[in-house]
Amino acid sequence: MIEPATSFAAIDQSFFTDRSGGGCIQENKLFCPGWVVDNYDRYVDPTLQHLVLVGSAVVGGFLIAFALAILAHRHRFLQTPFLAGTGILYTIPSISFFFLLLPITGRGPLTAIIALTAFNLQIIFRNITNGLRNVPPNVTEAATGIGMTRSQVLWRVEIPLSMPEIIAGLRIATVSTVALATLAVFANGGGLGTEIVSGSNITFKTGIIVAGSIAVIMAIVFDGVLLLTGKLLAPWQRKRVIT
Amino acid sequence: MIAPGVAGLPIGAFGLFGDAFNFVFSGREAETGGVTVGGTGQVIDLATTQLEVTVFALAVAIVLAMPVGLWLGHRQKGEFLAVSAGNAGRAIPELALIALMAAAIGVGMVNLVVALAILGIPPILTNTFVGISQVDRASVEAARGMGMTEFAIVRKVELPLAVPTIMGGVRTAGINIIATATIAPLAGILTLGDFIIARNVYGDAGVLAGAVLVALMALALEGTLAAIQWAMTSRGLKLERS
Amino acid sequence: MAEESVSASPVRFESVTKRYPDADSVAVEDLTFEVPAGEICVLVGPSGCGKTTALRMVNRTVEMTSGDILIGERSVKEGDAARLRREIGYVIQQIGLFPHRTIAQNIGTVPALLGWDKERIRARSAELLDLIGLDPEYGDRYPSQLSGGQQQRVGVARALAVDPPVMLMDEPFGAIDPINRGRLQNEFLRLQSELRKTILFVTHDVDEAIKMGDRVAVLKKGGQLAQFATPTELLMEPADDFVEDFVGADRALKRLALMRVRDVDLWTAPLAQAGDPCEPVRTAVSAAEVPYALLVDGEQRPIGWLSERDLAGEKVPSTPDSAADPLIDSDSVLRDGLATLLQSGALYAPVIDARGRLTGVLSVEIVSDFLSSGKAAESELAATERPHD
Repeated sequence: MIEPATSFAAIDQSFFTDRSGGGCIQENKLFCPGWVVDNYDRYVDPTLQHLVLVGSAVVGGFLIAFALAILAHRHRFLQTPFLAGTGILYTIPSISFFFLLLPITGRGPLTAIIALTAFNLQIIFRNITNGLRNVPPNVTEAATGIGMTRSQVLWRVEIPLSMPEIIAGLRIATVSTVALATLAVFANGGGLGTEIVSGSNITFKTGIIVAGSIAVIMAIVFDGVLLLTGKLLAPWQRKRVIT
Repeated sequence: MIAPGVAGLPIGAFGLFGDAFNFVFSGREAETGGVTVGGTGQVIDLATTQLEVTVFALAVAIVLAMPVGLWLGHRQKGEFLAVSAGNAGRAIPELALIALMAAAIGVGMVNLVVALAILGIPPILTNTFVGISQVDRASVEAARGMGMTEFAIVRKVELPLAVPTIMGGVRTAGINIIATATIAPLAGILTLGDFIIARNVYGDAGVLAGAVLVALMALALEGTLAAIQWAMTSRGLKLERS
Repeated sequence: MAEESVSASPVRFESVTKRYPDADSVAVEDLTFEVPAGEICVLVGPSGCGKTTALRMVNRTVEMTSGDILIGERSVKEGDAARLRREIGYVIQQIGLFPHRTIAQNIGTVPALLGWDKERIRARSAELLDLIGLDPEYGDRYPSQLSGGQQQRVGVARALAVDPPVMLMDEPFGAIDPINRGRLQNEFLRLQSELRKTILFVTHDVDEAIKMGDRVAVLKKGGQLAQFATPTELLMEPADDFVEDFVGADRALKRLALMRVRDVDLWTAPLAQAGDPCEPVRTAVSAAEVPYALLVDGEQRPIGWLSERDLAGEKVPSTPDSAADPLIDSDSVLRDGLATLLQSGALYAPVIDARGRLTGVLSVEIVSDFLSSGKAAESELAATERPHD
């Protein structure tokens, strides 16, 4: 075993002395509200960066997964290889993925976005595929029988009917990505992780709590927005006969 | 610390993989100078720790979450609790959890295992609940009608039928735990992630080697859990699916 | 009306064959028959006889291997399949309404595909909702808010949206419970008597085939046409053992559903009005087909049966011992007439026309004679109008 001193345990004292906040900060208490009030502005940039990371990864992941799912819907034999391929990308831990990309994209937000996108693919792909598969066969049969072309059946019937499952996939992907994007700091990708790991310091509790809380709130807000979007996109699900 | 030299990396791509290969099998001098780092000895050492931490945490998560999921699922109660747990679990930022745990409670093996187990509980709880509660009620009623005790119903009917869903949760938990175990060095336990995080010691060769090793380990764990699931799934269910 | 002229086209099957590459037997073999414009042709047969396959080759949801199907003078093979399907109404057993679209949107699907403007689609949806007897407010509901029978009606309305000359119906009432099925069948026949579409209708239920079909095509395993005939011909002269077996041992009884009471030769009973002398009535009774006299009013409406005691006096009384129950409507189906007679326990029942006037007397014997006589077959074959309810 390697000596801990040579690894990641050294504490950067400048982290505390640079800031106001008085005794609470000096003692590194669990939570120092005064410090947060004085320093809230330092979270603006990381939060915006975090939003960019998550937004790019989810939108990118959705576009790619959607294309893959449509392709696999047309050509069923592609389903298994796509599922296996996206499964591998999902399984590789993001932190490891960042640095597998090191020789190709180096360090930076792009690397983080690529890795987070790769993580998302399977969640979204699986949900779109399930959604399309769960469309009742009699509905597509009727759609074809009354004269819809293949792409009309897809865009007017199958995809709208899959919307609840597609949105469910996006919710899982988005919430997971918000949490995972804190790791982007290790790839110099910015985001809220920069306020958790600052320099080599990970012991500033108030900072960790604030950054972590912002991430959790961001996840909840995204989840709520998507939930609402889902309800708007699937109005038929709200009206059911009560029998 | 050396300059990252980002611009030159794409050209030196193969070279860096070569360095990483050497790092794993021969080791190299630390960036900080003096000692030799890397090499099979340290790789095996760190990999063993990462696997131990993962297996312990996964076992703790299973022991804590599965009985609750089984009980709630069998009683068809607490759906909101079980499903919300899964949703909430996903929202926990792994980095913040590990960092806060280390800073507030202290570094160490036990604390780390507890933190990782916390990440593993939600998917196992949710999937166990969903798996059990989705078992065809007709099968359960038939079992009850034949005079099985409630315990026997869970063990002989519900559990076997729910294996694929439950194992899905265990696999999600496993992937999440082994991924997060990579940042365990932040909590004072040195796993393969140390190669990645402590670049100032191991250099880019070490970082890339760590990334490859962690990826392989995660894939191996996922493969093993998938194999366990396959072995535990009854033949009747497999036939139904194909 | 401009649309009237194209409201129906004949459909002709010419040596239509379907062979699936992975199966060693033929699904449909050398099928040839013609459905005249405006008629319902029912394809019936046991499962696996290729009836649905035959139907689906019309709108090319299944492509035929050889042969041709003509709608009017045009081969279905010409042009684009999706375009063809928009001109053919299609109703399937599972209905296949789009759960994510309102009822009005469902009905307006094909008009929208054909690029109708919104106002015209809306008006057409409302018109069709009215036609199928649903309140206009149903237009804004979703399929899951409707009962099975209502959904099936909407399925029919959707198929009718662009007034197609031909409709295909694949076991449309198969998933409906027996009581509602009968109602939907009658409703549909009433609709068809106005619309006069050419309809191909698939069922495995021979009773439904006889009830719904102007013509019935009986298919046997391997997709061969066993018989193509009117329901009457089918019941009277099954082409072979298979058809006879398929139609069932009770085919004689089934024929009663094809005839109305007024189509058979009814018996006559001696008639008397209140106040007539009894003597000539007594004489008439002893010589008549019906051994009882009927008391009628001035309009020939039956009042009751006169018993021997009623006729024992000088004059025919105004209130006889037994009422004229049961009375049978001459427009009712012979099967229902017989059922009424048997249920009441009476030997004879007066038959009346729409204005209540006596047209004759029905007896069990008439029905059995009718079924066994060759004359019956002729009169059935000659019958142009089919009882629909």
